[in-house]
Amino acid sequence: MKLPVLPWNISLPAFLRSHGKALRVTALLLLLALSGYIFYLDVTIREAFEGRKFALPARVYGRALEVYPGLRLTPAQFVDELRTVGYRENPEPNEAGTYKHTMNGLEFSTREFVFGDGPQAAQRLRIEFAEGAVALLQERGTTDTDLPLVRIEPPLIGGIYPGHNEDRALLKLDQVPKPLIDALVSIEDRKFYSHWGIDPRGIARALYKTVTGQRIEGGSTITQQLVKNFFLTSERTLTRKGTEVLMAMLLELHYGKDEILETYLNEIFLGQDATRAIHGFGLASHFYFDRPLDRLELQEIATLVGMVKGPAVYDPRKSPDLTLQRRNIVLQEMVRLSAITQAQFVEARQKPLGVIHRAPTGTSPYPAFLQYVHRQLQRDYREEDLRSEGLRIFTTLDPRVQRQAEEALTLRLAEIEKARRMPAKTLEGAVVVSSTQNGEIQALVGGREARYAGYNRAIDAQRPIGSLAKPIVFLTALEAPDRYTLITPLDDSALVLRQAGTSDWKPQNYDHQFHGQVPLHTALAHSYNVSTARLGIDLGVDNILDKLPLYGIERRPPSYASSLLGAFELSPIEVAQLYQTFADNGFRTPLRAIREIVTADGQPLQRYPLNVEPVAPAAPVYLLTSALQGVVSAGTAKSLGNWVPAEVKVAGKTGTTDDLRDSWFAGYTGDRVAVVWVGRDDNKPSGLTGASGAMTVWGEMMKNIQPEPLEPAMPEDVELVNVDPVTGLRYIEECRTGVPMPFIKGSAPTEVSGCAFASAETGHAGDDPAVGAEVKPEVKPGIKQEPEKSWLQRIFD
Amino acid sequence: MDRTVLFFAAALLLLLAGCASAPKQPTATSAMPADIPQAEMPVLSGGVIVEPEPGPAMSGNRAVIALLDRAQLDNAAGQREAAGASLERALRIEPRNAWLWHELAQLRLTQGQYAQAITLARKSNSFAGRERRVQAMNWKVIANARVAQGDSAGAEQAFKTATELEQAAQTGAMPAF
Repeated sequence: MKLPVLPWNISLPAFLRSHGKALRVTALLLLLALSGYIFYLDVTIREAFEGRKFALPARVYGRALEVYPGLRLTPAQFVDELRTVGYRENPEPNEAGTYKHTMNGLEFSTREFVFGDGPQAAQRLRIEFAEGAVALLQERGTTDTDLPLVRIEPPLIGGIYPGHNEDRALLKLDQVPKPLIDALVSIEDRKFYSHWGIDPRGIARALYKTVTGQRIEGGSTITQQLVKNFFLTSERTLTRKGTEVLMAMLLELHYGKDEILETYLNEIFLGQDATRAIHGFGLASHFYFDRPLDRLELQEIATLVGMVKGPAVYDPRKSPDLTLQRRNIVLQEMVRLSAITQAQFVEARQKPLGVIHRAPTGTSPYPAFLQYVHRQLQRDYREEDLRSEGLRIFTTLDPRVQRQAEEALTLRLAEIEKARRMPAKTLEGAVVVSSTQNGEIQALVGGREARYAGYNRAIDAQRPIGSLAKPIVFLTALEAPDRYTLITPLDDSALVLRQAGTSDWKPQNYDHQFHGQVPLHTALAHSYNVSTARLGIDLGVDNILDKLPLYGIERRPPSYASSLLGAFELSPIEVAQLYQTFADNGFRTPLRAIREIVTADGQPLQRYPLNVEPVAPAAPVYLLTSALQGVVSAGTAKSLGNWVPAEVKVAGKTGTTDDLRDSWFAGYTGDRVAVVWVGRDDNKPSGLTGASGAMTVWGEMMKNIQPEPLEPAMPEDVELVNVDPVTGLRYIEECRTGVPMPFIKGSAPTEVSGCAFASAETGHAGDDPAVGAEVKPEVKPGIKQEPEKSWLQRIFD
Repeated sequence: MDRTVLFFAAALLLLLAGCASAPKQPTATSAMPADIPQAEMPVLSGGVIVEPEPGPAMSGNRAVIALLDRAQLDNAAGQREAAGASLERALRIEPRNAWLWHELAQLRLTQGQYAQAITLARKSNSFAGRERRVQAMNWKVIANARVAQGDSAGAEQAFKTATELEQAAQTGAMPAF
């Protein structure tokens, strides 16, 4: 709108007389426009405020530790668990979240917590340990009562936050320590509790100082700063300032001081972490001090408050001296306004900054796992609900297993690089660990820098799986017991395959040799490519590949025989799904990261129950497991014994791809399935086989997790038969010799060998189902071994 | 009265007593309500259901027993989801306990999730070893689920297997399959 230009040659009253009406109309229009503008500002600022005020992030929890007498757990491990959920030591452990050591264990007090299946009251407890296990669990009271089970609160492992990469840990005003509010009001806005959004004298002073060129001053009230933060531009113009003043006054009109202050405390920008903006004191406290706000000391609070003026300038990591000066100014103001005593001031001012060197990055210490959870949630929920409805998400992450997985990967990759004189950080890796019987993902590591959100190799890296595909071929064979048993000889001689649409295929073995006739289980144990390819071609490439969806692999590899040797790409988590079925006796359980979702007020919203699908008959899977145990006891993964004792009877498979680009190991114990991938992000050769790379990570991790031995129950249609591995003939039991092998009933060799070598001191292994899948090693030295039969020694020594 | 409680009570009585009348053979599917297992009714004395003790045979772990109790209470209150959550908690402690898998199969049957009930009963059997009683109970779950699915021939076969296993459990003999 254009203002009418005053003509200088007429007097004002005359002007008014002649133009009075036009002027009144103009004034009215101006007023209308202004009130329209104010109305617009009012709507805008209220929307912004309400939006911020009510956006509650989804909270993601790890698994809750269940403690019960008999649980394998050491006092140190238990203290670790308590510290993960923020317990602190206290000589009087009666306050929730405290513990103290006792002679044989701990006394501690849990917090009240609303679980997915209802609230659980706070409890004062005692725990005692003996021989690496929980021996006693009691509720402390006038009389102590034994408890069968206690569930500790689960660790908060992350959140899904509102806004554009704005991260915050939402605080209620009553959770904010008083000194922080005192400090903030002292330094930023002394009249906060009495002004109505703006401080005219402050503005006047600022204007005066700016005009007279003394210095440029903000003069913004807390309310104005909040408005400024909502719209995140730092441009300094008069119209901008005018808008800000108006909005601040409007805010004060609608909301109380406490609401404004609470929003401010959660909203104020306090730092930048790559693309992530750190908003609010709750998160800043973790970001700079790795502690919740209510556990900060006075000088630490003053540091954060000092940073409000300009977190880029007063960055305690980049400019510690400047930040320290600023902190002391805050303390000075506090003592001047009697918010703290002189003694407190003197003590606080002497302390160092105390900022943690490296910030915990991302919204979670487990960004890879959190990302997987988030993707699963996105299938069922709208993104804005996830970011604002305050959902509470209970997941399967086991911090203990996760830590072992992370540490094993970091340690082994560094050791390998050092031993092989590779530049540091050449190698990358990923780990997935799940629970065998229910498919819950206990650990997920997306790279060696596990704290840093980034390329999540566990779910996004698609790599050729190499020999990890072989068990699919062998399982298909074993499902036809009339044709194949574990000792069926396979042809490992040179093969040239002509297929339409592709060049001739001449598979080679890793040792570039052909091995003639080899028993089926040996071909798997030593991962012979040629005999596997011949077996697969015999069974039908499509017959085998068509079964992949049964095992949870949705993408169909190309119908080439090379696919049987793993010339197709999967992510580590897909491989884990594949091996889950082998580990769980042919039952497929979809891998799960989420157990249940509860609304902000504790109402159950959704459960992700256990789902089981029978996809392979138990007997062939049992034989496959037995053969995969042979891989570890005597085949390509034999050196796993350097990490995991033989009694665990791990079943596993190494995978190595062309030019040693990818190193894989997938394996399972009685209670866990784990997959490790090691390679390079640029896909150049890593120089590692499955056994020299991934398997060592797997072993290092499992060594520390202490897995349960793998002793699958023998299905009713499987029997153990003593056979002569050389001839493939059966020994009658009286011979007390040979090697017990599992066979599907009716498929064991019928031709009986004489008790030729019965005199030797072997072979008491008989029909004990406990040793079912374990192919007992005792080979008597007396057996004469032809050179070409020496696979027996290789397997069983 | 919740019929599931009755069935649970019945199932446990059957287990404890080690003897029971043979289950009725389904003659016509229409005669059988979809989600009511055709098990024996529990003994009622003075209008009170004879509460079976939670079988110590189900687990030697008191934590597992506590969770089983909780699951049964939730189930009795019609809180199936909560009952399932407690059973899953118990299974995390003893993942290879055939009884716990059986309880979960039974719960899915009550919930009308017949395919899951059958699968879970099979899974329970895979951990059952030579425990004929739990196998027999699993076959009953399978039979009842098949009835509900309209597979009367399959149901009959399953009932037959259950009966044979029950007899084997009593005599200690191996059933002939």
